[in-house]
Amino acid sequence: MNKAFTKNPKRFTLSGAWKRVLIFLTIFGPATITAVADNDAGGVATYSIAGAKLGYPILFPLFIITILLGVTQEMGMRLTVITRRGLADLIRERYGVRTAVWMFFALLIANMGTIITELSAVKTTSAIFNLPPEPAVIAIVIISFVIVTRGNYRSTEKVMLVTILFYITYIISAVKAKPDWGMALSNLFYPHGVETTPQYLKDYLIIGMGVLGTTITPWGQFFISSFAFDKKIEKGKVAYSQLEAYWGAFLTDFFSFFMILATASTLFVHGVELKSGEQAALAIQPFAGELAGVLFGVGILAAGFMGLVIVSLCTAYALAEFFGLSGSLDDSFRKSKTFYYFYIIQLLVAMLVSFVPGISLFKLAIITQVLNAVMLPPVFYFLIKLTSDQSLMGTFTNRPFQKWFAIGCTVVIVAASVFMLGALFIKL
Amino acid sequence: MAYLSDVLNRTVTDLDGNYIGKIEDLIARELKEFKHPIVDAVMIRTKKQQRLVPYSTVTSLFAPVVPLNCRIESLPVYEPAAGDIYLSRDVLDKQIIDTDGARVVRVNDVELMRVNGTLYVSNVDIGLLSVLRRFGLGGTTAKLAAALHISLGPNAISWDNVELLSHDPFMRLRVPADKINDLHPADIAEILSDMNQLARGQFIESMPVEQLADTMEQVESDFQKTVLETMDNEKAADVLEEMEPDEAADLLAELSKERSKELLALMQKEEAEDVRNLMTYPEDSAGGIMTTEYASVPPDVTAEQAIRVLRETASEAETVFYVYVIDPTEHLLGVFSLNNLIFADPSAPVSDFMEKRVKVVRLLDKQEEVAQVITKYDLLAAPVVDDHNVMQGIVTADDALDKIIPTAWKKRLPRFYR
Repeated sequence: MNKAFTKNPKRFTLSGAWKRVLIFLTIFGPATITAVADNDAGGVATYSIAGAKLGYPILFPLFIITILLGVTQEMGMRLTVITRRGLADLIRERYGVRTAVWMFFALLIANMGTIITELSAVKTTSAIFNLPPEPAVIAIVIISFVIVTRGNYRSTEKVMLVTILFYITYIISAVKAKPDWGMALSNLFYPHGVETTPQYLKDYLIIGMGVLGTTITPWGQFFISSFAFDKKIEKGKVAYSQLEAYWGAFLTDFFSFFMILATASTLFVHGVELKSGEQAALAIQPFAGELAGVLFGVGILAAGFMGLVIVSLCTAYALAEFFGLSGSLDDSFRKSKTFYYFYIIQLLVAMLVSFVPGISLFKLAIITQVLNAVMLPPVFYFLIKLTSDQSLMGTFTNRPFQKWFAIGCTVVIVAASVFMLGALFIKL
Repeated sequence: MAYLSDVLNRTVTDLDGNYIGKIEDLIARELKEFKHPIVDAVMIRTKKQQRLVPYSTVTSLFAPVVPLNCRIESLPVYEPAAGDIYLSRDVLDKQIIDTDGARVVRVNDVELMRVNGTLYVSNVDIGLLSVLRRFGLGGTTAKLAAALHISLGPNAISWDNVELLSHDPFMRLRVPADKINDLHPADIAEILSDMNQLARGQFIESMPVEQLADTMEQVESDFQKTVLETMDNEKAADVLEEMEPDEAADLLAELSKERSKELLALMQKEEAEDVRNLMTYPEDSAGGIMTTEYASVPPDVTAEQAIRVLRETASEAETVFYVYVIDPTEHLLGVFSLNNLIFADPSAPVSDFMEKRVKVVRLLDKQEEVAQVITKYDLLAAPVVDDHNVMQGIVTADDALDKIIPTAWKKRLPRFYR
């Protein structure tokens, strides 16, 4: 290949646009994977409930969520590509060991909760499709174990990108549900078309905040940074990575759109109540057909798998960064022992917990949500502080507008998490 | 010894006790002639700005409130220089990478050591214990670990084993990462000497006996004594067994009569016998500095058999470079070197190629005389015999020359321990 280039330089010269596309493909991955993983099994459940309970108008917040997700992910991405360190690295270096230890333990517990949620979603979904639940969970844990420990960065990234393709099942499910396209698209810009009772408005606010809370998470901030670090993206390509961050945010909410659509055009329209998000695959079958239901279930399995791998990896990366151990998917098992062991132990613990009968998933979700809400303000504080630090970022610091916009977004996100919490406690 | 994390954020006052500010950082400078940087200045964070004052104005850095020896109006100013190391900004919490750039661990703390009024940066702390100490849990954890017999892993890397990279936020190890788990006994000796009594006791507790014995051989006798005093008799006896008999004998001679008797009684018979014999000779005689562990073969074996014999019996010997030929009643007949052995015809008896005119020393020969024999004939070791030419042991060149020409670092070491 290279020889051909040197022999006939003119013939193979790429036009500017094509060259840019190729460069984009070389950095493509971390932001897209992180963003789509934000729609993990818990995310899908939340979107399903949102669609079933509130119908098309809940599509409206997607627009804001996309912007918030894009802005926060871009900061993390830029920080890593420019400083060549992960977010956890920088927190330890700038804010000392105490902060590092607290953040790590909070992240560890919150992530553990998230991982258990993913596995119980896998369990419920397989039960719905008459698959034996326990073996299904064991199988998905083994697959997660093998792809990370036997592969390297590139192979893991590829597996994750392929998993993203399975999210297309939501699109098909939504189309099969024969939605009212006009209503769907117009509701993206302004919410309308339902009777706004006080109860509806209250639910709208709570669930809207919940949708935001499941999409923008502390682990997402840590993971995009660690994963971009592990990809070793060159400084010069930072613009492409920033672009990818926004593209990832768009793609995520593109899928979210169809998740909501699938339940809104069936369950909401027919006034069927959805008890839990995991039941969505079964619930939509009478209206959208068996295929749509099965595909929706496949989508949940893919989301659970993705969340499982990404969130466990996130904690393992954070451990390595906070405490300076070697931790890269490109390292051999022997070289990054602690990193890999940590990854595996999380999977095993989550698996065992998910097997415990009668464990309250609802309480688990609350603990996870509390920790995430508590962590979000400091995480964004660090992120904004670090990306505004000239000694770190050089000419790539936040511009004043960017900084204030980010602060504004943070306030919204934090308010959403706190609000969510309040709502959860009131429900208790 | 103190830790950087203890010093940071301490309140600084002037001569009259007026509040100046809090310690923000310590500034150190690397020296050409010495491997540990010295602390030159203190950065104080006042309400309005950061002030750099020379370390010489600090009366005592390790007091709960740090007083300066001048007034707030006339604080001297330290001029920053190019090679300055800001210990908190540049070193604390930074990533340590190994020689291939792989991440190893982070700097959990920086150890400082005061020698004759000068403050040196001695070690970089990497242990889990130092993380916990920064949480105020150091003492509890150390006690817990000691009670459960858990080793908390390597604790520190000597400053000269790391280098600060000026353009990267890293510190690089000068030795491969897998080597830091087994620090050279000399390094451990240095760490031990830096520790306070309590920490030292816990560290010793966690160390395997063989490693401890190797370490003990590296330190000065005064210090050996203090270390031995922190151990209970059982452990001390185990360590003495593992040490070279000559070193063990010297050490026991330093202790009180009763303690040394107690320890000898606890040691294995064979080792105790060796040590007891050695102790009967004056400390500066050949008998006092010799070791009883040497390589020997009977005269009737062939070169090939000799190699096998050595392999089976000589692993304990201090040096196998010289192999002594002794008859069943241990009379010294000759000596050959490993060179001789390797190039000899495998079937040739050792008596064919051994050197029969052996330069020997007597048990009561003075150390100086032994050293002279060794230097004159360019030997690596000299055999020690009694009046009947019965082999008693050997004196290796380093043991003979040791006390006559102390090496540079040994000369410096005692001062370091104060």
